[in-house]
Amino acid sequence: MLDAFSRSVVTADASTSPVSDIASLKAFVASGNRRLDAVNAIASNASCMVSDAVAGMICENQGLIQAGGNCYPNRRMAACLRDAEIVLRYVTYALLAGDASVLDDRCLNGLKETYAALGVPATSTVRAVQIMKAQAAAHIKDQPSEALAGSKLRIMGSPVVDDRCASIVAEASSYFDRVISALS
Amino acid sequence: MKSVVTTVITTADAAGRFPSSSDLESVQGSIQRSAARLEAAEKLAGNIDKVAKEAYDACISKYSYMNNAGEANSTDTFKAKCLRDVAHYLRLVQYCLVVGGTGPLDEWGIAGQREVYRALGLPTAPYVEALSFARNRGCAPRDMSAQALTEYNALLDYAINSLS
Repeated sequence: MLDAFSRSVVTADASTSPVSDIASLKAFVASGNRRLDAVNAIASNASCMVSDAVAGMICENQGLIQAGGNCYPNRRMAACLRDAEIVLRYVTYALLAGDASVLDDRCLNGLKETYAALGVPATSTVRAVQIMKAQAAAHIKDQPSEALAGSKLRIMGSPVVDDRCASIVAEASSYFDRVISALS
Repeated sequence: MKSVVTTVITTADAAGRFPSSSDLESVQGSIQRSAARLEAAEKLAGNIDKVAKEAYDACISKYSYMNNAGEANSTDTFKAKCLRDVAHYLRLVQYCLVVGGTGPLDEWGIAGQREVYRALGLPTAPYVEALSFARNRGCAPRDMSAQALTEYNALLDYAINSLS
């Protein structure tokens, strides 16, 4: 498993040269608190995100909870919730490390084949991951609006940074995209 | 590669939980301390060839018998290899400064070191002398800040200890 620092070391070692791109590592350090806040935002809302994503997936495809569907009976629904949490957990690890290797090695490697063997529909899985991607972006940005939240709108605190951690949002989204492309 | 972040993730993964707030605290501690070592890494990267050459020259002048025929520094090929080895240790030190741990030195420098030098019939004392010269050559604030120099020297000490 690598993090942003050891990734640059492994890359430099391939050409037996010292690490020269110190500036990007300094940028990583400078945005460290944003990253930790983003990880905390996901970890603190994880179970809510997982159940919402799976519920949303089922809402759009009711066949999943009919007899013969892949989320029927409860035993298989529970397995689905567990898997969604596992995927979200590894995305969180990757976001903390600043590198996708932990996600690739420990979660995505062989996942598609496993799901194919178990008969898990890829389109539904991808949909759940897409919902989690949107949720993660929303939690990291923390910018609820009338349009999105309606009567449940609740503004908590003031923005810490003006750009709403756009770079971290993009990075988190890229890890979800990685999951999606690994599954499809 | 072992670092604070990967250790935290490995532990959290073994327990199957999301990163806890104490996990995030320890990562933040490592990030806060990284300014000095990144400074040292930057300065060393900018000058690594000269540092290696000085260290190499110092060890050859102390162990001048190595220039004799049949010794480790006798031919041009051997000289280039000796210099390369010193530069190699400094590069690993730079990697350790970047990662914030001794992982690169442990995995790519020290593991198997004794066996390789024994098989090739190389003495380790000149390496110690070269690295010790580099260890004592750094000067704050001329070369880098005092804290950065401390990090740099600590890793050179680690490499020296592994050879002695």
